[in-house]
Amino acid sequence: MVPSLARRARVRWDAARDCHVLLYPEGVLVLTPEAAEVIERIDGARSVEAIVDALAGEHPEAPRDVIDGDVRELLERLAARGFVRWEAP
Amino acid sequence: MGGAVTAAPPMALLAELTYRCPLRCGYCANPTDWRGYGRELDGDAWRRVVREAGALGVLHLHLSGGEPLLRDDLEDIAREGRDAGLYVNVITSGFGATRARVEALAAAGVDHVQVSLQDADGERGDRVAGVRAHDHKLVVARMVRDAGMELSINVVLHRGNLARTGEIIALAASLGAQRLELANTQYHGSALANRADLLPARAQLDAAFAVARAAQRDLAGRMDVIYVVPDWFADAPRPCMDGWGRRFMTVIPDGTALPCPGAHGLPGFAFDNVRDRSLDDIWYRGADFERYRGTAWMAEPCASCERREVDYGGCRCQAFALTGDAAATDPACAKSPHHKLIRDEREGPRGEPAVLYRIDTTRARR
Repeated sequence: MVPSLARRARVRWDAARDCHVLLYPEGVLVLTPEAAEVIERIDGARSVEAIVDALAGEHPEAPRDVIDGDVRELLERLAARGFVRWEAP
Repeated sequence: MGGAVTAAPPMALLAELTYRCPLRCGYCANPTDWRGYGRELDGDAWRRVVREAGALGVLHLHLSGGEPLLRDDLEDIAREGRDAGLYVNVITSGFGATRARVEALAAAGVDHVQVSLQDADGERGDRVAGVRAHDHKLVVARMVRDAGMELSINVVLHRGNLARTGEIIALAASLGAQRLELANTQYHGSALANRADLLPARAQLDAAFAVARAAQRDLAGRMDVIYVVPDWFADAPRPCMDGWGRRFMTVIPDGTALPCPGAHGLPGFAFDNVRDRSLDDIWYRGADFERYRGTAWMAEPCASCERREVDYGGCRCQAFALTGDAAATDPACAKSPHHKLIRDEREGPRGEPAVLYRIDTTRARR
């Protein structure tokens, strides 16, 4: 499955607060650096597996199955709030 | 003044581009002497304000009024906001909007449009608006969706439409709205003057709340239903603006910068104007932004209240309007010595409400 960021959600760096934020109507989600790393790799083309591969490549210290679980949990939470949509490849 | 409280940057800027509006809703929260304000900021000034907001750390830009579509530079101001990284929201009646205009807003980078409805059907809605608007609003709402923007439907609830909360929810869902804001009337501006015909009966509110709660459950994942509880009936004040000078900044049409859109009516204030000072300077060093920031300004019963950092003493404008003292505890709070004012009015008799329109007291001001 391929995640894409919904149009209602916009992710940006917030220089005033020194963090990434996800903006949506009337609201703000403050992203942890880990969550921002995942969301930055959502481009509507990469599959979950490809995102996990990329992160595992950059974090050889972390077991791949832990990264996989964390990424899927985050994406599910974002999808439940309408910020991420799933598309079949 | 100053130095006592270290403020965080504001989250949102409400830009009231104009007080002009083709609708005449009797619950309008704009000042009743709105014609007496100075000339509107021009587009260059608004664009500068928007850039300053972005630099200051503002994340959300709300373009409102009055009716912001009456400004033909709305798109330019929106684009400047988008370029500054802001999430851009237009709050409109939809009156006069064409498909070309809606598409231009989308092209300018507007993320979200909030379209007001006055009631669930055209006959009743147009009576409240004082103009034929309802049917066109439905068309505009669909145009917003077609253009790919997020759509909210905003409805102010009062005695004359609370009975149709269920129909209003169904209508908003049928339009493809992602959000529905059901906001019980807040008694400022014309709404305060017209309150005898806007105040609901408690049973009406209870029934509407139950309907809204059921819809929140049933529509979860499809449409967010936001129900704003009326502070006059809650015995607890609303945390007005999430605290004075804490998260929100408002700039009204003439460029005056305010901690909340109602604060222009407070006496003894000399609010700064964005023509003279930068937004950053006003937010961090403006004396009137400092005045009720935090909790140090509070008197009893707020000062020792365990909820003082939950509701921040409630609404300063409501405190002034009802008690004559802007630093008093909001009378909506059951602990306020003036709470009886609200209790008496909300338990008063409820006849069939008259249809009342936006008030104009401009001559009285001059």
